[in-house]
Amino acid sequence: MSQRSLGLVVDGTFSGGLTVRLNADTSTEQLRIGNFVVVEGERNRYFSLISDIHLKATDPRLLADPPRDTSLFVARTLAGTSTYATAEVQPMLMLEKVDESEPRDFLEERSGPQPVRTIPMHFAELREATELDFATVFGSEGGANFAMGTPLAMDIPICLQLDRFVERSNGIFGQSGTGKSFLARLIISGVVKTKVAVNLIFDMHDEYSFDKETEDGHWVKGLRQIFGSQVLIYSLDERMARRAGRNVDVTLKIGLNQIEEADIVLLSEELNLRQTAEATIGLLRDSFRDKWLLKLLQMNGEELNNFCQASGAHPASMAALQRNLKRLSRQEYVVDEAPFSTLDDMVEALDRGKHVILQFGRHNTVLDYVLVSNLVTRRVRQRYEDKTRRYEETQSVADKPRQLMITIEEAHKFLNPNVAGQTTFGTIAREMRKYNVTLLVIDQRPSGIDDEVMSQLGTRVSGKLTEQRDIEAVLTGVSNRSALRGALASLDTRQQILIMGHAVPMPIMMRTRQYDESFYRAMGARVGVPRDAEVDIRDLFGDD
Amino acid sequence: MRIGEIVETMSTGFVAESFELNRPPPLGGLVVVRLPGAEASAGMDVYAVVTYGQTGGLDPSRRAVRRSTDTVFDGAIYQEHPELTRTLRTEFGAALVGFAVDDQLRQHLPPQPPPLHFSVQTAPAGELQRFTDHLQYLRLLLAPYGQVSPLQVLAANVREVYQHRGQDDVWLSAAAREIATLLKNDHESLLTVLYAIDPGQVPPSVERGQVPPSAREGAPA
Repeated sequence: MSQRSLGLVVDGTFSGGLTVRLNADTSTEQLRIGNFVVVEGERNRYFSLISDIHLKATDPRLLADPPRDTSLFVARTLAGTSTYATAEVQPMLMLEKVDESEPRDFLEERSGPQPVRTIPMHFAELREATELDFATVFGSEGGANFAMGTPLAMDIPICLQLDRFVERSNGIFGQSGTGKSFLARLIISGVVKTKVAVNLIFDMHDEYSFDKETEDGHWVKGLRQIFGSQVLIYSLDERMARRAGRNVDVTLKIGLNQIEEADIVLLSEELNLRQTAEATIGLLRDSFRDKWLLKLLQMNGEELNNFCQASGAHPASMAALQRNLKRLSRQEYVVDEAPFSTLDDMVEALDRGKHVILQFGRHNTVLDYVLVSNLVTRRVRQRYEDKTRRYEETQSVADKPRQLMITIEEAHKFLNPNVAGQTTFGTIAREMRKYNVTLLVIDQRPSGIDDEVMSQLGTRVSGKLTEQRDIEAVLTGVSNRSALRGALASLDTRQQILIMGHAVPMPIMMRTRQYDESFYRAMGARVGVPRDAEVDIRDLFGDD
Repeated sequence: MRIGEIVETMSTGFVAESFELNRPPPLGGLVVVRLPGAEASAGMDVYAVVTYGQTGGLDPSRRAVRRSTDTVFDGAIYQEHPELTRTLRTEFGAALVGFAVDDQLRQHLPPQPPPLHFSVQTAPAGELQRFTDHLQYLRLLLAPYGQVSPLQVLAANVREVYQHRGQDDVWLSAAAREIATLLKNDHESLLTVLYAIDPGQVPPSVERGQVPPSAREGAPA
């Protein structure tokens, strides 16, 4: 692609960005808010984003009296001379130019793009970015660099630095139907492939393990099918385990003894609990330790009264609490007592480099999801804290806990401002980076997530968002918001995303890569059995 | 071709008497005065654009009187009164727009005005083409000179050159954009010029500086 000149820098400030007078032959319709462009300074090359476009006229009288039925000749002459356009351009990174005349020393390590510290002078040229520019900024595929997609108008890979990505908690956002779970599958595949971290995925809608039909009607493979035994499937639903060709490794049971006060508080809304519930549970816990829930549910009226008299609890609220919590014991996967060993085994599996998907199957209500994810994560977190402490003591590489990325959907249920302070997820989002555990938060309403959590997110991947509050939320703690605000709202609903933050050198809009056969192959999947046959069998004999 | 002789001269332009009565060179036309070089220095060609034409009596204090009768009018008057060619004269004014020394073309005022009584010639097609390949001279035409509005002189010049360049549409649109830049703060004046140079239908192929193969056909090589 040739380097097409778009215009010349005519104005600007360091803080507010540059103003570029567009060439007469550059149509504003060719430019797009958020486009990646390059300003050629004298000594530096500035990699920039278009943040705004203005239409202007040299003489205000022209605006008051635009030429109406004028000839083509006059209109064409005025365009680009008396009437013209300027673009606001925000430099994001700069790269010192090498002297082309000197023989380049290829062995010498050239410093990569740096944060912007200067701005170019007047009449520096603005041009379209070339493939080389993209490669300079975003690196090439390989190692921990994972190709996420291509620029909107070009066909070269843009890479996500996955090793940096998993260092911090991250978010995937976008309106419903913008392909969030598809994006998550893409990123998780990358993490599995590059082995930069292990994954624990809370799969509320059974989207990640096996074949799944997309909205446009074709089937895509799940992670288990791509990565085989590297991925373990845990399920809450016993029936799932019996489905042909979709074997589940472990069926998970939750014991009443494992449920803690914090889990219940998180479910206040779902269980219709009153303000007093927390205090009442506290009293129960004092008396019965980890058997409090079991005991509570087993109490008859008389025992309840006795307990109230002994402990000073309010009888009506005790009764209400018991009534509401009975719903928990009715869940199929809840048993009176369950050992922690299943969960501990899971953590060990993670430590051996396996990836775990927890499927919810039929139990996919918010109650199930919030209860189980929070409980499991709490255990995982405890184990990781132990491991980290041991590692700090021994300082032996063998003891170093593996980087873990926990994927949660409907993240605002755990991370809204009311509960983020109490849930394990809130803690992880804020400080668990220290213990090598990070989150991948997936949500369609980022405005529902606590600001403090949002500002801690390292990398944000966002599909189209239109609600102003959501856009503001996604951009919490990001510099140069104005350029990105317009870009977010102008994305297509399908396959277009904006990535910003820790794992990319600068924010960039891109077309995501296809999740298809070639992707499976790139991920090292054994695409031996033609998928058509599977589909045929399913069509003939039905599922199961 | 010699068409006149300079009768008044100054740094910004000159007035010349036309060799043909009532036939001054066209408004906006490009004319040239050729100055021979002195011993060491080379000769100089001074270019000018015609800014007005005027015909009157030799004695400016006396206005012409009516000559026509019922049977003798228009051109016949001149046959009836051959002395008119002696008592009347046609003048034209021209604004200096550039000069060439040693094949070096400059589009600004020459250091000295062309000398009195030197000949004025129409610029040959090749020279016109070469001179108008650059458009800086257009801004010199905006300085008021003579009685005709500079805008009209400018427009007339563009029309003239356009025709002499074989209806070169690429050149025309470049010149129009140059004028739009010159008059960027005066939209009304700009429209005045643009309407005056609008050739009518511009072929759709002449868009944004692309050179269509047909546009150069017929243009002098």
